Amino acid sequence: MIEIRHLRKEYEDTTPLKDVNAVINSGDIIAVIGPSGTGKSTLLRCINMLETPTSGQIIVDGQIINDGKCDLNEVRKKMGMVFQSFNLFGHLTVIENIMNPQITLLGRSRQEAYEKAMDLLSKVGLSSKALAYPDELSGGQQQRIAIARTLAMDPEIILFDEPTSALDPSMIGEVQSIIRMIAKTGRTMMIVTHEMDFAKKISNRVWYMDEGGIYEEGTPKQIFENPRQYNTRKFIQRLSTLSYRIESDEFDFEPVIDELQAYAEKLLIENERTSKLQLALEEICVNNLFELNREPNIYAQIDYSEKSDVLSLELKYSGEHFDPRDSDNELFNNILAEPTTELVDEEIINSPKWYNNHTKISFKWED
Amino acid sequence: MKKNIAKVSSLLLAALLLLTNLAMPAAVFAEQAPTKNGITSIEELNGKDLGVQTGVLYEDHIKDDLEGETWYYYKMPNDMIPALESNKIAAYLIEEVGFYAQRFEHPELVRLEEPVGVSDFAVIVGNNDKQDRLFAELQEFIAEGRSNGWLDQLYDYWVINWNPNTCKIETVPETTGENGTVSIAIEGGYEPFSFESNGEFSGYDVEFMMNFCAAYGYNWEFHAMEFDSIAPAVIAGKYDFGMNIVVDEERAEASVLTDPYYSCDIVFVLEGVTENGVHFMDGIKDSFYKTFVKEDRWKLFAQGIGTTLLITLCSIAFGTLFGFAVYMLCRHGNPLANKVMNVFDGFIHGIPTVVFLMILSFVIFANSSHITAISILGFTLIFGCSMFDMLKVGNNAVHRGQAEAAKALGYSDTQSFFKILLPQAAQHFLPIYKNDVISLIKETSVVGYIAVMDLTKMGDLVRSRTYQAFFSLIAVAIIYFILEWILISIVTRVQISIDPKRRAKSKILEGIREVE
Repeated sequence: MIEIRHLRKEYEDTTPLKDVNAVINSGDIIAVIGPSGTGKSTLLRCINMLETPTSGQIIVDGQIINDGKCDLNEVRKKMGMVFQSFNLFGHLTVIENIMNPQITLLGRSRQEAYEKAMDLLSKVGLSSKALAYPDELSGGQQQRIAIARTLAMDPEIILFDEPTSALDPSMIGEVQSIIRMIAKTGRTMMIVTHEMDFAKKISNRVWYMDEGGIYEEGTPKQIFENPRQYNTRKFIQRLSTLSYRIESDEFDFEPVIDELQAYAEKLLIENERTSKLQLALEEICVNNLFELNREPNIYAQIDYSEKSDVLSLELKYSGEHFDPRDSDNELFNNILAEPTTELVDEEIINSPKWYNNHTKISFKWED
Repeated sequence: MKKNIAKVSSLLLAALLLLTNLAMPAAVFAEQAPTKNGITSIEELNGKDLGVQTGVLYEDHIKDDLEGETWYYYKMPNDMIPALESNKIAAYLIEEVGFYAQRFEHPELVRLEEPVGVSDFAVIVGNNDKQDRLFAELQEFIAEGRSNGWLDQLYDYWVINWNPNTCKIETVPETTGENGTVSIAIEGGYEPFSFESNGEFSGYDVEFMMNFCAAYGYNWEFHAMEFDSIAPAVIAGKYDFGMNIVVDEERAEASVLTDPYYSCDIVFVLEGVTENGVHFMDGIKDSFYKTFVKEDRWKLFAQGIGTTLLITLCSIAFGTLFGFAVYMLCRHGNPLANKVMNVFDGFIHGIPTVVFLMILSFVIFANSSHITAISILGFTLIFGCSMFDMLKVGNNAVHRGQAEAAKALGYSDTQSFFKILLPQAAQHFLPIYKNDVISLIKETSVVGYIAVMDLTKMGDLVRSRTYQAFFSLIAVAIIYFILEWILISIVTRVQISIDPKRRAKSKILEGIREVE
């Protein structure tokens, strides 16, 4: 249905898209994920020519649309777009926002357009707001109207450009459920999103974008559970994890501590717990493991689960075993003795990655 | 007794000798009337504030003899009377004739008997292809008028025996008009030389030129303008003759001046000592009568309103269209169109309106006499530039996403502009538009400089005849206020009617059947 060949988009100071090649088939629901600034939105906006590609081709239904000869307005009528900032027409009521494009662009009668609009309004659950103006509605309501406006044009594909990013968290759900509802009707969709759970549940294809192109593509299961590429893995895991490989006793903990601080700040973890974790990391690694093993091989991972509110430090290492309970650091022992601290310490036999020791310390927050 | 007579006569003789030998001026003149501020000689005016009309150069006669004085320049001679009476100036300079004319309405005025000099008045001849012939003909006419005494008669009638109630052009001379039409620039509010009477121009200058035209077979056309615009406009060749030009060397070099067609003393005028006997209400009644009723002067106001409205309305209409058209060209950031427009916009907004108008009238369209059209053009450009700026500001105020959403839906550029952007931009720029309409009406009041007879100029003309500032000024102010109020109400009504958010809810879904 849509084919993208060697698409390149340059701006004066950056080149978000270097070489993108892809095919979108009818019925696809594609989730586009990836770090900020990797050209996800740019790609979406190139597809309906809101951004003009620097080079390459975009072929819609067999027609090259970026050669300057194509009637873009006709092509755009086939592609709906839902924006991050809703972009409802501020001077028109909700019902007119949905009716007017149908009348102006599709030549429908007022009555026909009205009936279509009312039908869609009831589907998005906002029939009662038909005569309201956009600025009288909440963000979630506006986005639902914007989706209805797009649907009213009967597009062959709908492009969602971060549809929930500008929303209050309490309103994300209502918009996602509308998009899920559309997905069930089998319409072709492409969704740029930062909501990983949503992307995983709704899509049948996932494009992970990085380094100026589609870095890895696969089913949601592949991408989210078993990413093959390093960058993809890092992106998927980093969402809740910090991880380090410590392979020398000269290892510099300074940047780790900085990163941990920033991580804690972002996830609103209390300083007290972060300091406990920091102390544990230094006590086990620097004071003991470095002493026991001349050439340390440690994998350290810091996890924070928002749902269970647990911050944990997980260490896997090879070589001599060290039981944290044997520490002679009084402060560390006190922390271990607290009821909110949980320790797992075991030797692993037949480890696939040649780590033979596993230590996990979890820090809860007293209720 | 005889001794006494001899004594007196010898004293008189000595005095006479002294007079003739030393030419002591004071003694030659009539007795000085007392003045309110006690000043009775020129020396006493040292360090005082003095008034003079702009462009007449009378002050050159006396500047060297005075010390520490400050000169204030007035557009119209009669505006110096209220200035004198409110003590803004201690005295003002005027030619003797003007003084006699003013004293008829203001008997409290007193002249210093000692004149500061004599001025000659000539006609300036327009710098155009007719110049040589017209100059020769007028020179001949003046010479002839001097030799046969006609000029003196004319001077006696209009100046020496001036009476505003009876003096008028008895018979308008017949002209064949075989040699075409000449245009004559006059002050128009300057008794007894040129003034408006019963809808026609009258006065010494007018009758003089009518007779000249009749004698040489021309039709005439009089144009009234600010005194200080006469010389520039005629030098630019816009008019064929400019009247009442004071002869001085610099001017004689820069332009073509005829021989003087009259000369008169330049005198200082002060406020005399009078008893104030007029009842306040009678004064008001009298002012009202003179300002509006006498000689049907209300018609002048009506005519002025018409001109002001014509210029304002046309400029608003054309300016709006012009600004809109230019904005449409520049809308997509066409670099050339934008650069041109920025320079043009800066130029028009950067120079004072009156200067811009005078450039249009005296430089660019120096040969055109369609002054109202020139004013409309000028204000159209000024308003157009504002309109352009307003559209720019208005459209920038509309969120970028609006255009993007329209584009993504498949709206063409034009559809998106007219259906989505403009209705929203209009609500941003209409309040500024209203202010600009007000400014425009007010700014049109300077068209008098290029001889358009608008409301302000008509007020000036009436004021110059009534010698009373209060009524005509207040009347003009009130009329402007009403005009502004009407225009603003119209724009506000438009603004409300096109505000999409103020539509009646019932209108939005008009004609649609409810579905189950």
